[in-house]
Amino acid sequence: MQNASSGISLINDIHQESSPLVLARHRTFPVVDELAGLFTDGGIRQGSTTEITGVAALSLASALTIAVSRSGSWVGAVGLPMLGSSAASDLGIEFSRWVFIDHPRDQVGAVIHALMAGVDLILVGPDIKLPPDHGRKIVALMRERGTSILTVGKATLCNLRPDLCLRVSQATWTGIGWGHGHLLSRKVEIELVGRGANSNLRRELVWLPDKEGRLKTVDQSNEPANLLQSAPRMQKVLPEIGEQVLQAS
Amino acid sequence: MVLTNTRTLVLIIPHWRVIAAGATHDHRAAVVKKDRVVDVTPAGAEHGITPGTRRREAQKLCADLKIIEDDEERSIRKFNSVVASLESVTPRIEIATGGWCSFPTRGPSRYFGGDQALARIVAERTLKALSAVLKTTEVPSVMQPRIGVADSRFAAVLAATFTSLSRVQVVVPEGSATFLAPFPVDVLASKYSPLLEAKELVDVFRRLGLKTLEDIGALPSEELLARFGSPGLLAQQLAQGIDGRAPLLHSISDVVLEESEIDPPADHVETAVFVAKALADRIHRHLAINGSACVRILIEVESEHGEVSSRLWRHEHQFTSADITDRVRWQLEGWYQSENPPTGPLSSVRLTVDETVPDSGQQLGFWGEKTVNDERAIRSFVRIQGLLGPDSVTVVQRGGGRRLTDIEQRVPLAGTRFDPDQVITLPESTAAPWPGRLPAPLPIAVLPQAQQVEVTDGNGRRIGVSGRGQIEEDPVRIRSDSLGSHPIIGWGGPWLLDEKWWDPATKSRQARFQFLLADGTSHLCVIENGKWWLEASYE
Repeated sequence: MQNASSGISLINDIHQESSPLVLARHRTFPVVDELAGLFTDGGIRQGSTTEITGVAALSLASALTIAVSRSGSWVGAVGLPMLGSSAASDLGIEFSRWVFIDHPRDQVGAVIHALMAGVDLILVGPDIKLPPDHGRKIVALMRERGTSILTVGKATLCNLRPDLCLRVSQATWTGIGWGHGHLLSRKVEIELVGRGANSNLRRELVWLPDKEGRLKTVDQSNEPANLLQSAPRMQKVLPEIGEQVLQAS
Repeated sequence: MVLTNTRTLVLIIPHWRVIAAGATHDHRAAVVKKDRVVDVTPAGAEHGITPGTRRREAQKLCADLKIIEDDEERSIRKFNSVVASLESVTPRIEIATGGWCSFPTRGPSRYFGGDQALARIVAERTLKALSAVLKTTEVPSVMQPRIGVADSRFAAVLAATFTSLSRVQVVVPEGSATFLAPFPVDVLASKYSPLLEAKELVDVFRRLGLKTLEDIGALPSEELLARFGSPGLLAQQLAQGIDGRAPLLHSISDVVLEESEIDPPADHVETAVFVAKALADRIHRHLAINGSACVRILIEVESEHGEVSSRLWRHEHQFTSADITDRVRWQLEGWYQSENPPTGPLSSVRLTVDETVPDSGQQLGFWGEKTVNDERAIRSFVRIQGLLGPDSVTVVQRGGGRRLTDIEQRVPLAGTRFDPDQVITLPESTAAPWPGRLPAPLPIAVLPQAQQVEVTDGNGRRIGVSGRGQIEEDPVRIRSDSLGSHPIIGWGGPWLLDEKWWDPATKSRQARFQFLLADGTSHLCVIENGKWWLEASYE
């Protein structure tokens, strides 16, 4: 028995060491801790499309690139002439390996295609439109190259199918009143709606930005409890399990 | 980029390292660095020992071979005495390394009656100094100095190393490209070439069937840049007889000069070197901020009695601060052991950066593991520039100011001189002391062009501001084509901007307000001359 079991473990070892295949879902781009809770793999899966919508979409999309920009990877921003580099670097983004293609004109497909050969993460602005056939080709190429795309605004508008949808469902500013004070910090609630392994609804509550302009987790011990509720998630999961049990019996 | 060439004379003394190590041509001796032979005497070479041979193997080939450890300081210190003999010819001698120096020929050539005459005089004087070093009147021909004059440094180096019997070769003006054309591509990877790590590049050239420099010079430069990055472009410029990296043409105010008193005056070389190190660090930082790199530096050290040692140093690639410190040490060691050593302690050090080049990112090893990323990325940007035009790809550069458009600056990425580690971002910008600045956090969406909006009070009347920027009525609603119409639920301000009031043409007076709208969005609007503009959003 002992010999047999050690033999099996040896086979497992060999299999692991010789296996050339690294599944795409094992490779991710890093995301700062404050937002990592939104992703099942702890980061942006390589070759995936993430759609970011809602009030603070641009801030959130930028915040998602912080860790990548600091890891020495390249980020390309297509059609985002308005992105304010001061606010973005206050968020924590390193601009040393970050390029902008503000006006791709009618060459969007070709530009994104070329970018994919050189950068790891591509940010696509809200006004960018891709022809449908280009969208499909780009998705195929993203899988192959491992480049990921973040769209600011609806991904379907530029003919990309999102793997993950992040939505800012609530945004509350502090510091400003009626004729006094100024915009100081914004508490946002981010909801994730995904497909496959990500189909659970996840939420995250962060300061985007906090009063120093940075990204910060909301300290929930001092918060009223009603802001975060796990009830919707439970409701969604429970019926599925029930069905499976019925089928099995 | 303006490419300027300087007609240059290059002097190379073959086998200098063994000469500096005290060996003569009939000794069987080799200079070894990191277990590899770097130089060998002609007598040793007869046994089949060549530079690059391992120490063990060299000893096997020639049992009584004398092995001498390499010492760059010794090599340069002794070379100083040779260079000193040329100082009456020109004061602008640049030492690259032991046994190799150069100077621009324009002035001295006119004085001595042409390049040929100048080269002959340099050859005579060097030979005389060399025989003093070797302590023999008969300098063996293999060790005699070789001289080349040409329009570019690289051409002059090749003219010197591939001289015919006469050991002096002058390439006619404007004739460098023709002179270079027949050389095999391998010379790009020689030890005198400014191309770093060019062996692999040359290998690829050869496999592509590009055998001579003429073949490379004839290729379209954009293609070379797109395929091989900046090393490819540099290779082509060298092949065409252009001194690759153009010196930045700068005015006097841009010259970087750092000097420091040594207090108390120092008797030891090391003390002065220590002072110089701090200066070198400062220079290096200063240049890095400007995205340039130093290739030539003037080092001047003064003693308390007013004696000055002054020398120009050149680096084929670029000086790091440690390189500069080394040069200071070598120069001082040489000075103390020369015929006219300083009589008093050293009292001041001055470093002047004499020539800089755009930092073309040479440290991005084209083939290196770490930065393959960057080269790949830059190639893809070059492709996009080909599609959309050279200024279509931009990178961030931060400026100072009060207006968002002053702070936010994008500069076009020029593929040839981009180095990601040199892009300047100023993290402190939000804390910079600009009165009238917006309070942090700053808006993340800055409209490239402000859009006109309408801000109205409860009765639908447009709102203006008083002379002091105070709002006349409470703003209740904002409307524009792009935003739509939204009730305002919170507002702050004004932040006043009264810029250039002394100049009627450019003066501007603005009041800025933050508006929080019912749909949760927040915006920065300005009013100027009674008109409201949407400037940025806190998206």
